[in-house]
Amino acid sequence: MLLQVEKISKSFGGVQALVDFSLSMKDPTIIGIIGPNGAGKTTLFNVISGVYPPDDGGKIHVNGQDVCGKDQFLITRAGIARTFQNIRLFKGLSVLENVMCAFDPTSKYGIVGGLLPTSRRIKEEKLGRQLSEHYLDLVELTKYRDEKPENLAYGLQRRLEIARALACKPKVLLLDEPAAGLNPREVSDLMGLIKKLNEDLGIGILVIEHRLELVMGLSKQIYVLDFGHTIAVGSPCEIKTNPEVIRAYLGEEECVR
Amino acid sequence: MSPQIIVNGIALGSVYALIAVGFALIFNILKFSNFAHGSLMTASAFIGYIFAIKTKLGLFPVIIVSMLAGGLLGVLGEFLAFRRLVNRKASSIYYFVSSITLGSLYEAVVTIAAGPNFYNYPRFFHKLVISIGSIVISRSDAIMFVTSWIVLGLLVLMLSKTRVGRGIRAVSFDADTASMMGINVVRHIQLAFFLSGALGGLSGVFLGINYTLYPQLGNLVTKGFIASVIGGLGSMSGAVIGAVLLGVIETLLINFIGSGYAPVFTFLIMLVFLLVHPQGIAGSNVQEKA
Amino acid sequence: MEAYLSVLTFALISVVSVCGIYVLTGLTGMFSLGQAAFMAIGAYISGMLVVRLNMPFALAAIIAVAGSMLIGFIVGLPTVRLRRDYISLVTLGFGEAITALLNQSVQVTGGAMGFSGIPQKTNFTLVVVSVIVSVALVGFLKVSKYGRQCIALKSDELAAKAMGINVPRMKMIAFLISVGMTAYSGVLYAFYTTYVDPSMFGWRKSAEWVIMVFFGGVNSLTGSIVATLILSALPEMLRFASEYRMFFYSVLVLLIINFKPSGLFGEFELSPSHISKLFKRGHKNGAVNVAASGKDQ
Repeated sequence: MLLQVEKISKSFGGVQALVDFSLSMKDPTIIGIIGPNGAGKTTLFNVISGVYPPDDGGKIHVNGQDVCGKDQFLITRAGIARTFQNIRLFKGLSVLENVMCAFDPTSKYGIVGGLLPTSRRIKEEKLGRQLSEHYLDLVELTKYRDEKPENLAYGLQRRLEIARALACKPKVLLLDEPAAGLNPREVSDLMGLIKKLNEDLGIGILVIEHRLELVMGLSKQIYVLDFGHTIAVGSPCEIKTNPEVIRAYLGEEECVR
Repeated sequence: MSPQIIVNGIALGSVYALIAVGFALIFNILKFSNFAHGSLMTASAFIGYIFAIKTKLGLFPVIIVSMLAGGLLGVLGEFLAFRRLVNRKASSIYYFVSSITLGSLYEAVVTIAAGPNFYNYPRFFHKLVISIGSIVISRSDAIMFVTSWIVLGLLVLMLSKTRVGRGIRAVSFDADTASMMGINVVRHIQLAFFLSGALGGLSGVFLGINYTLYPQLGNLVTKGFIASVIGGLGSMSGAVIGAVLLGVIETLLINFIGSGYAPVFTFLIMLVFLLVHPQGIAGSNVQEKA
Repeated sequence: MEAYLSVLTFALISVVSVCGIYVLTGLTGMFSLGQAAFMAIGAYISGMLVVRLNMPFALAAIIAVAGSMLIGFIVGLPTVRLRRDYISLVTLGFGEAITALLNQSVQVTGGAMGFSGIPQKTNFTLVVVSVIVSVALVGFLKVSKYGRQCIALKSDELAAKAMGINVPRMKMIAFLISVGMTAYSGVLYAFYTTYVDPSMFGWRKSAEWVIMVFFGGVNSLTGSIVATLILSALPEMLRFASEYRMFFYSVLVLLIINFKPSGLFGEFELSPSHISKLFKRGHKNGAVNVAASGKDQ
């Protein structure tokens, strides 16, 4: 079982952001999370990735491991990586270094290697660099490897975030609105990339998106949230025709193909 | 554990409370620790001193002058050191360095102008002590105590009841939203600095009276910082409670162990607090903001 | 010539500690206003071991540095999990505590009168070698996984955690390295001046070092070193009285923060890869899309 989330809730003060959410992913697949703004989608990602723990009683298992309430970095090392709604790239590091530092926590040299050029360090650094270059290549950012991330165009920055998350070697990837701000051509490129990550690399994907063509086109299963509650779960076809979903989205300007 | 010691401790704590609240005001509105606060205190205290010597007026005019001086220095400092940082939304590291530098600047100016000497405020009080039962309070302590709490009370009233006070709180909460609501963010930041500086001026005078006046007087601002940590960074009420607690504990310790070791104990107290209850008394956010 | 050599030696000793400050503040973004206290600890422990117990210099130095790092570990333990402000305040309090302790323990340390009679073991060669080693170690650190993770957590702590970086552990490592280097510079200092007293190691000294790092460019090791040399040596050479020195430092740094926040050197580093990049840039024809406006770092 790649990812199992059981009845997680999260409230902030008096506000119930997420209520009794459950999800399970056995094999690597693509699951979409949609819902109006404020529905609790990012809160869900934050809870799963460990930014804050869920309220009492929830369970989160990654790869069979119980990660509920653990520190964020441990949850990442257990197999979950994510991107952010507001791009959070590391300034002060180049594009390549941004990806490398996701590999670094598992790099196998110690402080001696940190201070001196030991052979193990040289070997591990080379490995890290090759791996990172590979991921950059996957998202087609190789020619920008030495640039500053803040100099990249918006769409490229989003791709860099994905490459960086991949360097964590995740079993499950949480993508938070990866298509925000992209033009239709870029969205279709992104869809191809996500499909490749799932099919070729065997990574399970949870994607929050407002661009319904992406969610409908890629997901095997879709969860719909509204005010923290899960109002519908099903295949894209089922969701498209679900009256609850349509009601919740009344006023949304997205057109559903 | 005589009541006398407790009373002394509370008196000391009141002065610390002034420092801690001045510090907390800036922390709330711009989310950083203003290390220039100490030197600002010293500088305003010196200005008050010069005024006292030149005009030979009593305590309260000197206080007014110092508070004004502190307020103006605060606003000046905001312009010199922090305005551009706010404008370009710099990361907090720059605020730290800028405030340290500003503090060094103020202190350097005071050192150049006044030299490394010690100065004494003229004697403001004719009758030196007041006795209440078996407890003896020096008149200066009593006046400081009363003045501190009046000023703090006025500040609280201002923040909660007046329009500008609400404006300051709004900007503290979320500057962008506040500006969208039509609040002049820059003005309110200036006002916060003015208030903080005025409090600093007042604390400077009191510390100057209590100890003596010398350029490094601002070092005592550490106590205010520590009080804020104990109380919970960013919380005004926490700052006050933390300050009074610190004053009492410090006075107790000094009584039993001697004043030289006071900073050691203050530090250990803070360390213990951070280990055991890092949110402080009032419970503030201790993790890096997401 | 004697005088210039002395000034240069002091400046170079400062460079050793500034290397440590660079790791703490430049790479990891932590502010300590108490690092000078670790310099004091290094100085006093090594001084006392040699003078009182007749220990050989090298051994005393090692013990002093190790001891300082142990103390640093204790101080750092509760603080590295908390937000940046706490580190500054705790180290400030720590610095004051150490100064008070040193002033009080007259029997052991000579109190405010200071501790003298330390034999002079530090010569120019030792200092130069120390500087070269320090700069090399920090240079290697910067381009290692440690350097990258520190820069990452400085830039965005939440994202760093999300990428699997153990942030408190990294902060502690950076802190300990900084403590070790600062303590070692204290050893060099004590055995050069043959006399130390608590007033030399106050928070002002710590603040001076931070200012030097920012003046040179918080992202640049080269900048920090050059700034240290300039800011240490220049006032001595121009015979400024010490109050004016602080005044000028402050004005300079305020100007830099306001108008060139990336410091004198910005991102520039004098390292083999950078120098070769400088040559390549002439031939480079990269097409970079500039979209995001320059938010500083």
